[in-house]
Amino acid sequence: MGTLDGRVACVTGGTRGIGLAIAKAFLDEGAQVVINGRDPAKAARTIAELNAGDRVHFIAGDVKKREDCEAVVDGTVEHFGKIDILVANAGGADGFAPIAELSDEAMDDAMKWNLWHTLWVMRRAFKYMIPQGYGRVINVSSVEGKVGKPGMATYVAAKHAVNGLTKSAAKEVGVLGITVNALCPGVIETDIVKEGGAGAAAAMGLTYDQLLAAFAADSAIKRINEVEDVANVAVLLASEIGGGITGSLISIDGGTSPY
Amino acid sequence: MGKLDGKVACITGGTRSIGRAMAEAFIAEGATVVVNGRDPAKGERCIAEMNAADRAVFFAGDAAKQSVVEGLIDFTIEKFGRLDICCLNSGGVQATAPVFMMSDEEWNLEVDWNLNHVFWGMRRALQHMMPRQSGRIIVTSSVEGKLGKPGLPGYVATKHAVNGLVKSAAHEVGTMGITVNAILPGIIETDIVRETGPASAEAMGVGSYEALIEMFCSESAIKRPNRVEEVAAVAVLLASDAARNMTGCLFPVDGGTLPY
Repeated sequence: MGTLDGRVACVTGGTRGIGLAIAKAFLDEGAQVVINGRDPAKAARTIAELNAGDRVHFIAGDVKKREDCEAVVDGTVEHFGKIDILVANAGGADGFAPIAELSDEAMDDAMKWNLWHTLWVMRRAFKYMIPQGYGRVINVSSVEGKVGKPGMATYVAAKHAVNGLTKSAAKEVGVLGITVNALCPGVIETDIVKEGGAGAAAAMGLTYDQLLAAFAADSAIKRINEVEDVANVAVLLASEIGGGITGSLISIDGGTSPY
Repeated sequence: MGKLDGKVACITGGTRSIGRAMAEAFIAEGATVVVNGRDPAKGERCIAEMNAADRAVFFAGDAAKQSVVEGLIDFTIEKFGRLDICCLNSGGVQATAPVFMMSDEEWNLEVDWNLNHVFWGMRRALQHMMPRQSGRIIVTSSVEGKLGKPGLPGYVATKHAVNGLVKSAAHEVGTMGITVNAILPGIIETDIVRETGPASAEAMGVGSYEALIEMFCSESAIKRPNRVEEVAAVAVLLASDAARNMTGCLFPVDGGTLPY
């Protein structure tokens, strides 16, 4: 008996990091889960590792493209017959630089990856959730959706925008049985952070290790977060009992955010 | 296998409404719970109804009194050997008046019940938890800890203060295996709200109890009051090992009312 028995979920960026932890937690609670990612080879390894038989299904796609975002949501419904839970989890940034030196391309890329992707999958999912009168949308934002670090303007602006989108959407569908929330994790050493962290650190005049130490120092727990921290909250928000929580920007940041 | 197997919790204001829902949810997850309330008869009935054998005990007293809050924590530790989860849940609107008309006596009622009770309980609990390098403190705050309503200045101010206390404490004990969080429910038709709602409605100039509830609902996205079980589910999460890295968090359970 899981809290998500009979539910169908779709997780973008679900082959590793936070998305993978959320997919695992949803499977443990009885859901059927579509995971999305760019690389089918990586996905094959993830699916094997998840060992959940036909309760997990992979749909390839690049979330920076609208057609791919819509295809992931449509594909979920085609494969499992419906979509109850959407986790817009993919995200990140590249080309970090102080604003004076920031390129249009870097900002555009961060907006596509974090904001547009969230809009594209959520808008598509609403087409199914509104008629069925039930839905749970969970947007993976960041502590940087509430505060700001120098040299990370692209990511910070994009995540603030995701939080705004979350609040507007929550009010639009609040009486339709659909909740929309954002999770705001502190820094976690996921693959994406390992890949992009050095660039972000350089833009802040730090090494990668100093960057992680700076984030930890901002927190109360003085260590970085873990992917399971985020997955546990995602399960609550995805469940039936989470129906009274919407438009919330939940901090999972070891006490970093001031609000 | 519960999420709180073997844990010991105490809950101020635990015989009904939000506190009761927390007690029941904790017991269902395997915890032992001491519930506090003012009325011994109501307390005994609560224990009987929860039907948890020796995993539920009542401790009588008014949570607005220092001796009672500290007594509850000491009693829990004495009886069960430890305190893992301290829920400072009791509170409410006791004095309604616009600021210019509020007396010192009325003001102090709110401060003792909503703020000092939390401080007294937290301090005592931390003294026990810090040497053990383990613990969970969960404070029941309110959306009014971030917003403001006319006519309830004591409630609004003390709930804001409680949120500040939670954040300070979280930073103090963040590396000691102890988390300190607040839950911010929207309006819930608890017994306390039913009792004090009519006076609040009058002080706020909204006419009737029904209009008061309607006004709170209209500010939310879900256009309905919240439910005690929704708050209890968050309390279970915060009390569990799964939330070991969540602290200083003001967790709304308000159907989309709060802007931040």
